[in-house]
Amino acid sequence: MRAFLAALVFALGVGPAVAQETGFAIRQTEVKKEPFSDAETVGTLAEKSQVKVLGRQGGWARIESGLVAGWVRMLSIRMNSGQSSVVSGLKSLFSVARTGSSGTTVTTGVRGLDKEQIQNAKPNPEELKKLAGFAASKGDAEQFAAGDPQLKNQKVDYLPQP
Amino acid sequence: MKRILPLMIALVLTALSGSASAQFNLNLNRMLDTGKNILDATKDVNEKQEAEIGREYAALLVGAAPLLANADVQRYVNRVGRWVSLHSERPDLNWQFGVLDSDNINAFATPGGYVLITKGLLARLKNEAELGGVLAHETAHVVRKHHLNAMKKGKGIEAGANVVSMYLEQQGQRSAAAKEKLVGGMKEIMLRGLDKDDEFEADRMGVVIAARAGYDPFGLVSVLQMLQSLNPKDSELALMFATHPDPGSRLDALDRAVGSRLDRLASQPQAAERYARSMQGK
Repeated sequence: MRAFLAALVFALGVGPAVAQETGFAIRQTEVKKEPFSDAETVGTLAEKSQVKVLGRQGGWARIESGLVAGWVRMLSIRMNSGQSSVVSGLKSLFSVARTGSSGTTVTTGVRGLDKEQIQNAKPNPEELKKLAGFAASKGDAEQFAAGDPQLKNQKVDYLPQP
Repeated sequence: MKRILPLMIALVLTALSGSASAQFNLNLNRMLDTGKNILDATKDVNEKQEAEIGREYAALLVGAAPLLANADVQRYVNRVGRWVSLHSERPDLNWQFGVLDSDNINAFATPGGYVLITKGLLARLKNEAELGGVLAHETAHVVRKHHLNAMKKGKGIEAGANVVSMYLEQQGQRSAAAKEKLVGGMKEIMLRGLDKDDEFEADRMGVVIAARAGYDPFGLVSVLQMLQSLNPKDSELALMFATHPDPGSRLDALDRAVGSRLDRLASQPQAAERYARSMQGK
């Protein structure tokens, strides 16, 4: 169990640093000093500029690109594919956690969510009963949302189909 | 003509199903029934029936991969999911959320309000707004009945309209064959995925449902960027990438829809600390 928690903590970046992510600008993009549109412009990214993504906040990504650093709209950035070190690192941690905690045999190849495994899956009504036991009522959810940080209802229209 | 058309479809379908019809011993009455079934299936499945189909669907998913044996994490995901679903157009469904013990990166919705996320995806999320975004995307599938419609449209006779309505009409004394066919139809959707437009719609709606629930609306965008950064050849991603448009096109579609529309909600919380805490069972 402890190993599993450690694995999640690692994944969340609470423990050792998570690998830095890189991406690129999909269009010419102004770099802002703060994460909002009327903040001071501190530079401009050319289309396809490579960036390091250091964080995200409310639709903005904090980036570094060459000598420029600041905030750009998240949706102006796409990530470079194949930065998979986090995946492989986690994979080994998770399998250690699973074999180490419960002592049960790992059932790889028997159950799972790969194509073949789904093809061979059988309904499991017992497991479904377990699931029902974890359900939250409307009241539970409202109490949860009143916690810290508080989640406040907002009126927001659906986005138009582009 | 309106009455004759379904019958004609039934006759063609029955002829096409060949050996299957022999197997199920179809006589003329059954053929007429099939015609009626197709007609019925174009009507709405009621909420109770939807829940029943959803239960079968969810039983299959937890049959494929067991639930994660961590009650604290399961309850946390249920609270987030229930709160998010309260901000959809179907707040009073019997919503149930769960974490599947699988390293695969994926999330699933079923008719009637079951939503399942894998441990693999959960472990790669950075905060509660991201979790809320994923669950809101799945909630949107349920609200728009994407899976139910896909089953009714039926890609091939196996998953077709008659399977859904045949199953529903046999209340109390459901044949093993009808149930097996329904399960076959569900598996087909799990493996082939929904229409791309359904996924794009669930992305657009998911962003808004999460925002209505008070989260940073960009949680889902952040998840899509994370998915884009992974190695697409990784086996943990195989099923999700086979059943969804690639993250790049999903981001492009959201980019066109969002613009500056959500700017005023930019300061809503991501709840990274609560997410970390909850994953540790505190």
